[in-house]
Amino acid sequence: MSNDLNMKVNVLPVLTYNFLHVNDSTLQISDFNISDKNAPLAKELPAGVTVEKAVPFAEAGEIFKKNNDRILAPIDGHVGPNGDTSARDKDQALRTGMGADVDGLMTSLGATVDIYTVEEGVKADKPIVISYDMKNGEASLSGQIIHAKKNSEVTVVIAYTSDNDASGFVGVSTRLFAADGAKINLVKTQLLGEGFVHFDDIGGACLSDGKIDLVTLELGGCKTLTGAYVNLAEKNTVFTSNMGYLVRGDHNLDINYVADHRGKKTEAGMQFKGVLMDNASKTFRGTIDFKKGSSGSVGDEQEDALLLSEDVVNKTMPVILCQEEDVEGRHGATIGELGEDLLFYMQTRGIDELEAKKIMIKARLDSVAGLIPDPEIKQKTLYYIQNIV
Amino acid sequence: MADTNNKQVVADIDRSLYDFKDVESEKDFYRMAEGLTEETVLKVSEEKNDPEWMRDFRLECLKLYNDIKLPDWGPSIEGLDMDKISSYVRHKSDMKGKWEDVPEDIKNTFERLGIPQAERESLAGVGAQYDSELVYHNVKDEVAAQGVIYTDLESALRGEYADMIKSHFMKLVPPTDHKFAALHGAVWSGGSFVYVPKGVKVDIPLQSYFRLNAAGAGQFEHTLIIVDEGADLHFIEGCSAPKYNVANLHAGCVELYVAKNARLRYSTIENWSKNMYNLNTKRAIVEENGIMEWVSGSFGSHTSYLYPMTILKGDNSKMEFTGITFAGKGQNLDTGAKVVHQGQHTSSVINTKSISKDGGIGTYRSSVIIQKTAKKAKASVSCDSLMLDSISRADTIPGMDIRTNDADVGHEAKIGRISDEAIFYLMSRGISEEDAKAMIVSGFANPVSKELPLEYAVEMNNLIKLEMSGNG
Repeated sequence: MSNDLNMKVNVLPVLTYNFLHVNDSTLQISDFNISDKNAPLAKELPAGVTVEKAVPFAEAGEIFKKNNDRILAPIDGHVGPNGDTSARDKDQALRTGMGADVDGLMTSLGATVDIYTVEEGVKADKPIVISYDMKNGEASLSGQIIHAKKNSEVTVVIAYTSDNDASGFVGVSTRLFAADGAKINLVKTQLLGEGFVHFDDIGGACLSDGKIDLVTLELGGCKTLTGAYVNLAEKNTVFTSNMGYLVRGDHNLDINYVADHRGKKTEAGMQFKGVLMDNASKTFRGTIDFKKGSSGSVGDEQEDALLLSEDVVNKTMPVILCQEEDVEGRHGATIGELGEDLLFYMQTRGIDELEAKKIMIKARLDSVAGLIPDPEIKQKTLYYIQNIV
Repeated sequence: MADTNNKQVVADIDRSLYDFKDVESEKDFYRMAEGLTEETVLKVSEEKNDPEWMRDFRLECLKLYNDIKLPDWGPSIEGLDMDKISSYVRHKSDMKGKWEDVPEDIKNTFERLGIPQAERESLAGVGAQYDSELVYHNVKDEVAAQGVIYTDLESALRGEYADMIKSHFMKLVPPTDHKFAALHGAVWSGGSFVYVPKGVKVDIPLQSYFRLNAAGAGQFEHTLIIVDEGADLHFIEGCSAPKYNVANLHAGCVELYVAKNARLRYSTIENWSKNMYNLNTKRAIVEENGIMEWVSGSFGSHTSYLYPMTILKGDNSKMEFTGITFAGKGQNLDTGAKVVHQGQHTSSVINTKSISKDGGIGTYRSSVIIQKTAKKAKASVSCDSLMLDSISRADTIPGMDIRTNDADVGHEAKIGRISDEAIFYLMSRGISEEDAKAMIVSGFANPVSKELPLEYAVEMNNLIKLEMSGNG
């Protein structure tokens, strides 16, 4: 059965001027069929990790509902910011970066979720590797839940690949639950063909001393939407994120990342490094939200966008929300082309402008790709970058 | 040594300096019925003796006001009921050119605010608006002799500058811009017109002071300033009102035209009372090599939407915005700046400080737009917020839209509190906790106060001290 897709996603946690057109994004596709509603399975599982396969999306959020009183403990005296949009996603089992419309889509189209559970105290000795190897014309909608029990640690690598000239659709929901003292490393690398529409919706919750570390590379596809909402629910929780992106042609990348500081002494560090070329466009929304009670917390987000064509469109919305006195929040952005000083330096070393640009693109993306723990996928990603450059 | 755990209880500001209400006789005032209808608008137009085009313009704006929705992104303005606001209140006497001729009750008000004293000591001219009308307007002879025009807008509308007004009035801020720009277009009254001729540099500032004394009223003054080629002007705007239990509304509009090689500095110390909805619109357009400087202090109001906007149209034009917002108890101040780079080699610097305390909500909101034509543009934004307790809010919501690679955009935002170490250090030098905090906050605000003329910097520092100590 064919479907029309019309979703409002990546809604900014607080609305701002409508003329900026950054308050949300729309994902519209007419007349498309989902060919695969199950996620590909990991090739092999590390010891101490189990998987429950193909759970209907609507039934898969039990772990979050069960822990709702800890993830969303009531905050006395909470006052919402101006233009607050949080009510929109209040019915999600776990709040995600792209928001409630993705949950609605997954449920209505019957997408399923694989639930990976890491047993208490287990430090997985190798990553869980999941490969979406897409063929031309395929459309896939699916998800994963990674549940790391107390004091466990796991790394999950998800790769999206296809032929360079292939078209299709991949929509993925990945939700993470790091219980007390647990650590989840999630690595996603997107190397899809130029005709792919892709969305990647991430949600995470950390209980006491829990950690979530995200590494994402968005290098392919014609339209990519990605969002991550990480709830630092309790004390000493940590969220780190490193994203590298390259947007070419008339492609579009749309990002919405949120660190929700609720516990005391929580930490968030988000870095976004990327390159825009040709007629490409990109919208980046990054929010650090210090809720009342998150005393002693620190949040930092940095964006470094290299613009390499006069026809690119770069939109940036770095938001800091704060209802707590004892916190430190920082944001920095550097947006523009290569600095004249750097180019001059390169030229004095015999490197011309074109070569200098190649070096700088590669340096930005390689620094993120270098964080991929799986050697095969890392190699594939570095090769993809090399080819583009 | 003092007990650092014994935290200072900071009371609300004593606003007696601004909140006083002189005894006025209602019979001396004309007050239009509350609410906004075509009849009200026509009545305002009749009162103002508008030319026909202005009357038609007002009616068109009223239609727009009824059609345009309230913004969905800012502070709530549910407490504002236009059916309870009178759009026009004026004293029955006419505007005066001599201070001694101003009616006694109004004169007392401005005397207490220090306006005539400021005029004598440090200003080139003064306009004083009381409710909906200017009650006094004067410009020093030597400044007038340079050809500088500083008059009330209504006189200008009918005099030799009528065509200039018609070609500039609400062209920069069209009534379609937002609901309250349309409202302004419908019921505007009062305000000033300034024209600085080519090459004229006005050495000392001009000032307009706006006082909204009536309860349940709106003030909708319009300020139109044209600084011609190579000219230079500093214009200061002050605002205050006594506190009432009913909502008051300020929906003024400021349009600033900065010609080639000209410079305009526009400074505001806004200290409306805390029942005021301040929905003001300010915009400047800057031609080649022109410079626009904004200095903005927002202390008062119950709710504010205030984002002065600059359009850097000409090549090499520049803009600098320096602002401070202090949100205390019961206040929701949503402030910031907007800039659009159109010309090549344009540059903008936005530097803001925001302080939140006693449950106040301070939001910094901005937009920086670099259009494709703005090659070699440079934009720098720095916004710092200081939280003085954990019942307040300090949010920063900056937006950037960049459409050329040949631009250099930097952005920095910081949010935090006064460090315990800094307070401890000052206390170890014998300074009380209260004074130490006030000192640190004054230091935080220093980049703004140093941009103000001395008299106004002193007033701003006094406001900060009052807000911090509550001892007024």
